[in-house]
Amino acid sequence: MSFEYAFPHHHLLGIEGLNRLDIEYLLDRAESFIGKKSTTKTLTGKTLINLFFENSTRTQGSFEISAKRLGADVVNMSVQTSSVKKGETLIDTAMTLNAMAPDLLVIRHGASGAVRLLSRKVDCAVVNAGDGTHEHPTQALLDALTIRRRKGRIEGLKVAICGDILHSRVARSNAMLLHQMGAEVRLVAPPTLMPPGTDTWGAASTHTNMVEGITGCDVVMMLRLQLERMQGMYLPSKREFFQLYGLDAMKLEHAADDALIMHPGPMNRGVEIDSAITEAPNSTITEQVSMGVFVRMAVLETLAQTLDERRSSGEGR
Amino acid sequence: MRQVLTNARLIDPETGLDETGGLIVEDGVIAHVGPQITDGTDAIDCNGRVLSPGLIDLRVKTGEPGTEHRETLESASRSAVAGGITSMVVLPDTDPVIDTPALVDYLRRAGQSEKVLNRIYPSGALTRELKGESLSELSLMKAAGAVLFTNADVPITSANTVRRAMQYARGVGTHIMLRPEDASLATGSMNAGAFAARLGLRGLPVQAEWIGLQRDLTLAEMTGSELIVDQITTGQSLELIADARKRGTKVFATAAAHSLFFNELDIGDGSRDPDKAYLTYCKVNPPFRSEPDRLAMIEGLKSGQLDAIVSSHDPQPPEDKRLPFDNASFGAAGLETLLSALTSIVADPEYELDLVTALKAVTINPAKILGLPQGRLQMGAPADITLIDPNGPWKCVREDLRSRSGNSPFDGRLLTGRVIRTMVAGKWVFDAHSETRA
Repeated sequence: MSFEYAFPHHHLLGIEGLNRLDIEYLLDRAESFIGKKSTTKTLTGKTLINLFFENSTRTQGSFEISAKRLGADVVNMSVQTSSVKKGETLIDTAMTLNAMAPDLLVIRHGASGAVRLLSRKVDCAVVNAGDGTHEHPTQALLDALTIRRRKGRIEGLKVAICGDILHSRVARSNAMLLHQMGAEVRLVAPPTLMPPGTDTWGAASTHTNMVEGITGCDVVMMLRLQLERMQGMYLPSKREFFQLYGLDAMKLEHAADDALIMHPGPMNRGVEIDSAITEAPNSTITEQVSMGVFVRMAVLETLAQTLDERRSSGEGR
Repeated sequence: MRQVLTNARLIDPETGLDETGGLIVEDGVIAHVGPQITDGTDAIDCNGRVLSPGLIDLRVKTGEPGTEHRETLESASRSAVAGGITSMVVLPDTDPVIDTPALVDYLRRAGQSEKVLNRIYPSGALTRELKGESLSELSLMKAAGAVLFTNADVPITSANTVRRAMQYARGVGTHIMLRPEDASLATGSMNAGAFAARLGLRGLPVQAEWIGLQRDLTLAEMTGSELIVDQITTGQSLELIADARKRGTKVFATAAAHSLFFNELDIGDGSRDPDKAYLTYCKVNPPFRSEPDRLAMIEGLKSGQLDAIVSSHDPQPPEDKRLPFDNASFGAAGLETLLSALTSIVADPEYELDLVTALKAVTINPAKILGLPQGRLQMGAPADITLIDPNGPWKCVREDLRSRSGNSPFDGRLLTGRVIRTMVAGKWVFDAHSETRA
């Protein structure tokens, strides 16, 4: 497989702004790593900093493994938001890290737009590993790769994204990506957790009735429910949520027979998904985690390449 | 001392005067004004530019006392006169809160310093420490110089407190200015809607404004009080106010100049310019609304339903703005762009807004609300005037603003119309040309 396509972005800040060619390029590149016995250490001599303002074991670990497989040096910095809040500002932190001259900066932050803000202050390539309730682009890419490998295509599929859409960066990135790739995206949520204007993300329809929303769907993608939502008057209880919006065998019957069951993890078993379902053959939950490594390898390698080109042309420092 | 200005386009928004002529200033007041004044010793030729009463701004925050790094009365006044503002009401939400006669007196005296270039009118906190729990000494504070009472940006959640405050203020014979907001609904950082949802930002719904406004209008009607509604942002708010007026309630409505100029999309999503996304200089409360609401505000100005346009000047230093959008502070610097925002709208024929109507909302209307003698280009009025080039183009660059904090949403914008000279009480306090030379 050849990768002649010139990826036109310096950073990966979100799915918004990527076109279909950009997405397919990253997916193809990720797929090329699958099943390879050895990997060329294309990132040897490169330094990647994982800067996580929110705790995350799996995403941080996934980026670390991806980078190390490609030969990069990885530094993990977990920043307690509380200590950063007063004193050193976010931008000061960025300037400090920038002075250490990393090549790749992977950032997760609790505020929407924070990663973009940081990307404007540094010279290296930035990957958004989740910003507030805005975007989580590598999650959407790994979900797309999983779907494409299982179904052979994305175009024309019916995909239901279910749960706390309002607070979900995964839902935003996935809806935009799947729409861009020609899928029909349906959003399912209780009215308190359904944001307005989801058509601007590419959603074809919204549903407050889960059975109606997933009927005939080729993919049912569940979202993690933050248990704090019970306090904010969004929902009365976990058991009522499970009854109305938890994925169980009865609701799943309405989806297509071979519907994929997806979840970005970590799962609340018995809240948004019935434990029994997670073990089903059509469940891709652990496969998604595996795909995450390949997708992140593709993203890091691509951005490192564009960074090298920028540097050699004197554009970057 | 006598000064003569000739060859000016004289505009007096109260009488609707709009003709070429001159003006004579003697002892700090306008001695003569009219077409008959064509020359005089050492006359200043205005070259046909607009001579307007100086602007009166009902809503200005400084950092004095308490947070002088944001702004002082002096720096605010320098910024104000460069924007043609000759009188301004300063809000009481300082540190300490202006809630005693002594503090009002302090501010009034501080405003009389030689270094302060325009007229400062203190407002008082309606409730002690703005806590919404007990009334401040309205009468004593009024006697000390407070021209109106407000709880600034801190909503009073108890309807009963607002009712008592209105009843009491009516007896004292003073004005109450309240910003309509239901605090429990208004917990976001930009206008609620599809754009906020896409950016992943929490929304401030228009309904929070309507619920707060309905409550305040109902209580004003109940108590027979006059009310200054502080900064509305939606067309429906204008309708609610029109209904209250129909039933006989005396209501004055204000809007911030930036809410006539920007809509929510100006916050940016980076799709057009990667650097224009999540712009915290556009984070204000009440927020920039939808385009139909922005247009409704301009219509409100044209129809006279909006009484006053304010700068809503709220200086915020970079350390409070260079943050992720949700964490950044609310507020925009506005003194130097109040007039230019209006003249830019006037200059765009699409809006069909005439200059005299626009100037009314920043001169005679606020003067009448507060009962001040200025805001008029008339014989015997204080010589607070500003000379404007209504078609002069300029680019707002935040580093060039005279405010101590340059948090202007107009940064980088091209504007039409700017101030050439400003006079307060017969004394020139701003001259764009001499300043450029210096």
